[in-house]
Amino acid sequence: MSEKKVIIDVGDGAAIPRPEDKGLLSAWWLSFVGTLAVLAYLLIFHPDPYLRLLKFLPDGIVVTFQVTIASICLALILGLLAGLGRISRNRIVNLVASTYVEIIRGIPLLVQLFYIYFALGRIVRVPDMVAAIIALGFCYGAYMGEVFRAGIMSIDNGQTEASLSLGFNRSQTMRYVILPQAWRTILPPVGNEFIALLKDTSLVSIIAVSDILRRGREFASESFLYFETYTLIAIIYLLITLILSKFLSNVEQRLSHYERR
Amino acid sequence: MNVVDPIIKIEHVNTFFGSFQALSDVSLSVHPGEKVVVIGPSGSGKSTLLRTINRLEKISSGSIVVDGHALNDPSQNINKIREEVGMVFQSFNLFRHMTVLENLTLAPVKLRKQQKSQAEKYAMELLAKVGVADKAASYPVQLSGGQQQRVAIARALAMNPAIMLFDEPTSALDPEMIGEVLDVMVTLAREGMTMVVVTHEMGFAREVADKVVFMDGGRILEVAPPDTFFDHPVHERTRAFLKQIL
Ligand SMILES: Nc1ncnc2c1ncn2[C@@H]1O[C@H](COP(=O)(O)OP(=O)(O)O)[C@@H](O)[C@H]1O
Ligand SMILES: [Mg+2]
Repeated sequence: MSEKKVIIDVGDGAAIPRPEDKGLLSAWWLSFVGTLAVLAYLLIFHPDPYLRLLKFLPDGIVVTFQVTIASICLALILGLLAGLGRISRNRIVNLVASTYVEIIRGIPLLVQLFYIYFALGRIVRVPDMVAAIIALGFCYGAYMGEVFRAGIMSIDNGQTEASLSLGFNRSQTMRYVILPQAWRTILPPVGNEFIALLKDTSLVSIIAVSDILRRGREFASESFLYFETYTLIAIIYLLITLILSKFLSNVEQRLSHYERR
Repeated sequence: MNVVDPIIKIEHVNTFFGSFQALSDVSLSVHPGEKVVVIGPSGSGKSTLLRTINRLEKISSGSIVVDGHALNDPSQNINKIREEVGMVFQSFNLFRHMTVLENLTLAPVKLRKQQKSQAEKYAMELLAKVGVADKAASYPVQLSGGQQQRVAIARALAMNPAIMLFDEPTSALDPEMIGEVLDVMVTLAREGMTMVVVTHEMGFAREVADKVVFMDGGRILEVAPPDTFFDHPVHERTRAFLKQIL
């Protein structure tokens, strides 16, 4: 049990290639090179409108990343709290955390986004981007909570007992012994969630946040070049997620040092 | 009778898992420096008994006093008591994300607020003592079972416990590694450590134990010095068990 490597399969987001998964790795290369080739072809042979379009989008890319990174930070904090809450022996804490996860998981992200945007709007006037970040953070926090919970539970109970028997209390045990090990198991699904979140930020274009997609829509509605615009936007999303998944796969590799003989 | 008070005093302890009774009216005293070996068939409650001594398992009734601290008294800080009671597990349970040296220094540095350098110095002495000083910078997965268990003993010793508990420390080991772990335990015993050891190693029991405890069905059936225990067991169940394993 303790020797087995647990892989949490959340099943959404882009697949992060593992070095031993040759199929996925070559699929990665094929997609990456193919996408770059298509992009190069379009830019060289059809600079109008693609080059013009490409110059129009960078602001949107920056916003997409800002929203993604801020949301993931919020989601990680909420996820850790929810995960710890879900395994807590304290009934009330446990109930609150479980209810949060249950409710969030039952509502489509787009509905949550609208809801938080307009509900918040009734109480305080927050910038659109902040509303978007809160909505995405809360939603992904619930999924992240399950990832943290599974990661923590994947650590052999003997580790906890050894730590307790040395005199550590439960929170010290979590901090010094369990979380540093759970991180290994948690990282791949967190990486997947990160990529999934990046893609889901496209939903915020609906509530007036100028991300990639919204910038594209602005361009398209003025130029009527819908096909060309969405082609380029698809290519940009694909390139970003491909690069991210490769990057995360490398980080994951580096973190596994103590498992190697 | 005894001038010194027992360092572990277990009185009329009952432990339940749901409706299943794992310990029934168990009483046992261990005096400072005493070595107690607990034997008995699988499922007889040996681990449960050992684990109640540092409250990894809670008792349902009765009382356990360790070094003057009543374990079922909620005002007692169980973590402080656990610092005094080292425990060695069948499955070693070394912290897999830390080097051998870090395994030994974690608790002294975080709990006893020792200087890192001081903790490391003492850790190296302990590693030398158990014969794995050359593995200080290795990770647990890089060690053999016997080496891991010796490190686990050193890790417990790093807190300078007054009592050491061993739960079948050699049962997960390949036969050729059992000796190296038992040697370390014998040395520890000679130095006067108070030890409670659950084991199937009868040679160790004969050599080291002050008294042997036989458990069956959650009860202590017999307590005797090793000579009496092995040569003139009183209880029918004890005789049957000894015949089976010897
Ligand atoms: N956490 C637990 N929950 C339920 N039953 C348990 C638990 N721990 C031990 N038991 C049961 O208690 C009995 C005694 O277990 P244990 O003390 O581990 O025996 P031993 O160490 O002598 O083999 C066994 O029947 C076991 O199945
Ligand atoms: Mg046992």
